[in-house]
Amino acid sequence: MVVLQPLQVVANSPFKLYGDIQNYFITQASLRHDVANLQKQMMLQGVQLQALSSLKGENENLRTLLEASKVASQPARLAEVMYMGRDPFTHKVIVDMGATKNVLPGQAVVDAAGVLGQVTRVFPYTSEVTLLTDKELSIPIQVERNALRAIAFGEGRDNTVVLPYLPANVDIKKGDKLVTSGIDGIYPAGLGVAIVDSVRTNASSPFAKIVATPVAGIQNHRQVLILTSDTNNFVAKDIEQVLSKDANQSNKAKKDNSSRKHNAAP
Amino acid sequence: MQHLRRRRVYLTLFLALLLQLLPWSGFMLNIKPDFLLLVLLFWLLRAPQICNIGVAWTAGVFMDLINGDLFGVNALAYALTAFLAVMYQRRLILFTVLQQSGYVFLLLFVNQIILLLLKTFTGSEYFGWTYFVPSISGILLWYVVLHSRLSIHSMARQ
Repeated sequence: MVVLQPLQVVANSPFKLYGDIQNYFITQASLRHDVANLQKQMMLQGVQLQALSSLKGENENLRTLLEASKVASQPARLAEVMYMGRDPFTHKVIVDMGATKNVLPGQAVVDAAGVLGQVTRVFPYTSEVTLLTDKELSIPIQVERNALRAIAFGEGRDNTVVLPYLPANVDIKKGDKLVTSGIDGIYPAGLGVAIVDSVRTNASSPFAKIVATPVAGIQNHRQVLILTSDTNNFVAKDIEQVLSKDANQSNKAKKDNSSRKHNAAP
Repeated sequence: MQHLRRRRVYLTLFLALLLQLLPWSGFMLNIKPDFLLLVLLFWLLRAPQICNIGVAWTAGVFMDLINGDLFGVNALAYALTAFLAVMYQRRLILFTVLQQSGYVFLLLFVNQIILLLLKTFTGSEYFGWTYFVPSISGILLWYVVLHSRLSIHSMARQ
């Protein structure tokens, strides 16, 4: 991959040139149209943002009242998709940021609509993103309607994800939105993942067959966001706390035992 | 002359590798023929003293590097296909273009089946008949190029 990097650059250059030329000849009218649209969007989102900041403050206060740990925000960086992976068996894309820009394997990749996948391999100048429709990728999710937790697996074909191992009487309906649950510590909670397409039950199987379509534009994207995962996320901290507590307790128990023995000896 | 031909073989193989490297996507990615294998087979049938199984294996290693697959998957598939090609090479060059195309189609198909088997061992899943579309587009390309006699006149003549 690294060895063939110069060749890859050569092979990409005609397409890059074509894109550049296309960019150059964009008409003024379309640009003005875009600017007007973006300004409108900014206005609307500005209002929402104001509400959000006050809500954030309120939420933080409530969390401190509840003595829950705070949710860290994850800064995102924009990366450009260079090309699709060539292997028809896997769903992967190559993006133009690598180890030199501090991309790490395991970081989440999203777009404006929702989760796209995860960085799986990092090269010096590029990195490989496995899409969530790939057979090897799974994401802990939550049904937005009733907060039911489950795990979504990529199906490896047809650009869909499946939810296996859920009982036949599970409360999931067609059209339900699945969002990330955030308990894995990789994907922040509440990002859109998929929308349920079909729920089928079979008398011969105790499990429902649930198929969902990803909300993110899996196939048609030039730009994606790489989220900087923080290792100090609240889940990891919680686990650490519990572990240290356990260790302390067992140490104490041992000490008690030994001291008792010590006392008993004479 | 021999030297010139050798250079020509390697140059065409290199160009085929570049074609493989182009950022294909979407529909074109699904029907994209295996250019490198087509060029390899062309030279395996016409210049077996230059382009042999070893060259095919090396090309396969390059494909592995490009795809980022399990190392050696493509190398094995190419080497086996190349072996099948050179086994009947002497008989094949006497065939007509159409007959040759039939055999080459079989080779492309065999190559994909070997790849499919190897991928299945590593946990991938067969996703339907569309997997074999590159073989079909490949043989169409092969037939068009050979039928136009462009290659026979300009490249294969010694």
